[in-house]
Amino acid sequence: MTIEFTVTTRDTASGPVLELSGELDAATAPDALEAIRLLAPSAGQQLLVDLSGLEFCDSSGVSALIAARNVAVAAGAAIALAAVPGHLARTLGLIGLAELFKSYPTTEDARKAWGSSASGP
Amino acid sequence: MMGETGDAGGGSAGEHPEALAASFSALLEDSAEDLYEHAPCGYLSTLMDGTIAKVNTTLLGWLGYRREELVGRRRFTDLLTVGGRLYHETHFAPSLRMHGEFGGIALELKGADGTRLPVLVTSTVKTGSGGEGQLIRTTVFDARDRRAYEQELLRARQEAECERDRVHRLATTLQRTLLPPVLPAVPGMDVAAYYHPASADEVGGDFYDLFPLTGDTWGFFLGDVSGKGAEAAAVTSLARYTLRAAAVYDPDPVTVLGNLNTVLNHEYHSTDPRYCTVVHGLLVPDAGGATVTLAGGGHPPALLIRHDGAAELLDTPGGQLVGALPDARFAAVRRHLGPGDTLVLYSDGLTEARTRGRVRYSEEQLRDFASTLAPATATTVVAAISDLLAGFADGVDDDTALLALSIPHTGDEEQ
Amino acid sequence: MDVRSRNNVTVTDREDGPTVLLAHGFGCDQNLWRLVVPALAERFRVVLFDYVGSGKSDLSAWSEPRYSRLEGYAQDVLDVCAELELRDVVLVGHSVSAMVAVLAANREPARFAKLVLLTPSPRYLDDGDYRGGFSRADIDELLDSLDANYLGWSGAMAPVIMGNPERPELGEELKDSFCRTDPAIARVFAQATFLSDNRADLPKVAVPTAVLQCTQDAIAPPEVGRYVHERIAGSVLVTLDATGHCPQLSAPEATAAAITAFAAG
Repeated sequence: MTIEFTVTTRDTASGPVLELSGELDAATAPDALEAIRLLAPSAGQQLLVDLSGLEFCDSSGVSALIAARNVAVAAGAAIALAAVPGHLARTLGLIGLAELFKSYPTTEDARKAWGSSASGP
Repeated sequence: MMGETGDAGGGSAGEHPEALAASFSALLEDSAEDLYEHAPCGYLSTLMDGTIAKVNTTLLGWLGYRREELVGRRRFTDLLTVGGRLYHETHFAPSLRMHGEFGGIALELKGADGTRLPVLVTSTVKTGSGGEGQLIRTTVFDARDRRAYEQELLRARQEAECERDRVHRLATTLQRTLLPPVLPAVPGMDVAAYYHPASADEVGGDFYDLFPLTGDTWGFFLGDVSGKGAEAAAVTSLARYTLRAAAVYDPDPVTVLGNLNTVLNHEYHSTDPRYCTVVHGLLVPDAGGATVTLAGGGHPPALLIRHDGAAELLDTPGGQLVGALPDARFAAVRRHLGPGDTLVLYSDGLTEARTRGRVRYSEEQLRDFASTLAPATATTVVAAISDLLAGFADGVDDDTALLALSIPHTGDEEQ
Repeated sequence: MDVRSRNNVTVTDREDGPTVLLAHGFGCDQNLWRLVVPALAERFRVVLFDYVGSGKSDLSAWSEPRYSRLEGYAQDVLDVCAELELRDVVLVGHSVSAMVAVLAANREPARFAKLVLLTPSPRYLDDGDYRGGFSRADIDELLDSLDANYLGWSGAMAPVIMGNPERPELGEELKDSFCRTDPAIARVFAQATFLSDNRADLPKVAVPTAVLQCTQDAIAPPEVGRYVHERIAGSVLVTLDATGHCPQLSAPEATAAAITAFAAG
């Protein structure tokens, strides 16, 4: 019944994209954390976490998101989430962390928003 | 052997095949009898009732018997240990009768001096022209090496089973140290708790406690640490003792959570954040019941069931996870509990529990369920909710903890 | 759970005639009766089954608490009787099933017309003056034998368990599975068999009983058969011209004839 968890990363002009899909829980969070440790956003970039394929996320998954945010903050980069599933948005609200993550409906929206703000001045 | 063959034949097979064949023939001319007697395995023939009719020299040598001690005088089963005889009679002999052959069975033979020889036994039945059994032919292989290896495997299996039991016991013991063994009696209140670990082998991440503070006030909390296993247990332990110490230092629940946040955030950070969600409360009894102040740190809202069945989720808006951020914010909510009112703290194992299918049980569903429980006490509410969890069967895949406090009915609150 | 499939119940064609229920012993399954069934089926309706944990029973129905005592096996017998609504049953129990039959008949005497105890033993361990033939160390040795054959079992047995029981090449499968069982289950059955003491149950038997024994039997020696006969009032003792513990295999005609004579008599 368990939906396989996969984590992929890719670099884009605006910064690294971390894609988490499937079930993110205590069993799979170590894989996510491993990938997060290898992320290297530059100052002024945006680390984008694509959650469009995420089926389930428990507290271990929230840990992974916090770890990703810590990586971004330490590098002087921003962090944004794309396609946050309803239940996770609700959890982030419940635990008071919704405001820590910019959130966009899709990765495309996130990229556009970042592009306009980066080329803003 | 090959060297001798070459010398005797005076040439290689490629050059003089006929000479080689002649040399084989010379070596093997008495092969049938010699092979039978001195084969590198034991041979044994018995009548259908097991009486030994023929046995080869190899087997006699292994067992230390003379031929006349066995032939016509002993049965094959007489050579087995008693346990082996039972196994032979209940497994080997019936199968042999049914199929005419049975093989690869591990048995032990007893030698004349009582020593035991682990062997592998294969038997076939020689039948007459009418298909009736006449003779049982048995080959016996020395299995000392194999048996030693197998015993090693069996021992490893038994050790693994012991180890598993030990880990299980350790987890249970450790779990007990992380929970209060028995809730203290709180004057004028009914208190009850429940704990369901998701795994028998891993220490869970839920914790709760109820403890006296100065005067007649009480502190209590229920929380859930992220992750599972030993690392989560370390955080659970740290959180539990920090909360108790912080509450003694300054009982204000928001301050208590702030202190816990500072401790956890210093201890764990960067790419392996460890945090917990907690509801921490302060209970101040009064003449009509008690006032509770709750501070929430990212935890599902506590549940208040009034004596008349009205149920309310006590949100603490903006309360953040404890330990995740250096300057987390926490918010408090305050209510008065009167006779017949029950306050329930629970972990998200409950509201994340999968009911049949994939739908998760929500806080709102819990609230609606709770409103059916009035008139309630802490004890009846904990019993009803733990029954509800049991009904989810395999659906509860996270630890679940419950802590409930109620003011007893006085009998006149309905009026 | 459907008892028929749980216990892999099979019934011979003949619907009339008295019912003979054949209960297999430790180590095997209902196929142990194969050589006597044709002769019995001429006069009787023959019902066969496998205890849960044996043969082609439903292993998922097995539980250690139930099958660590012979009462659990007697319950299987009674379950089969109830499911098939059997009445006036001639219950034939081989080896340990002789005592299972005694327990079943003592629980529901009205269900059974007669008992046939084939190579029975009420107590395998020596006990004071009683000679069962075995010591506790002997039984531990048997358990070691089961363990020693464990490794061979797991490899040989896995494909059978995975296989489809409905497949046509039944003969081959039977050959693979006969007398083989999960070693953990066999161990529990072995302990229930060889450590039970049912001597006190014998005088309670109120159903006409025949004790069938062999001239030479390493597991249930003739003295033990006589002991059983002497403690069941009115029982008859028949010594078959056969050797070994399984006369239904070593002397099927004589065994079938003795069962028929007592059941029809």
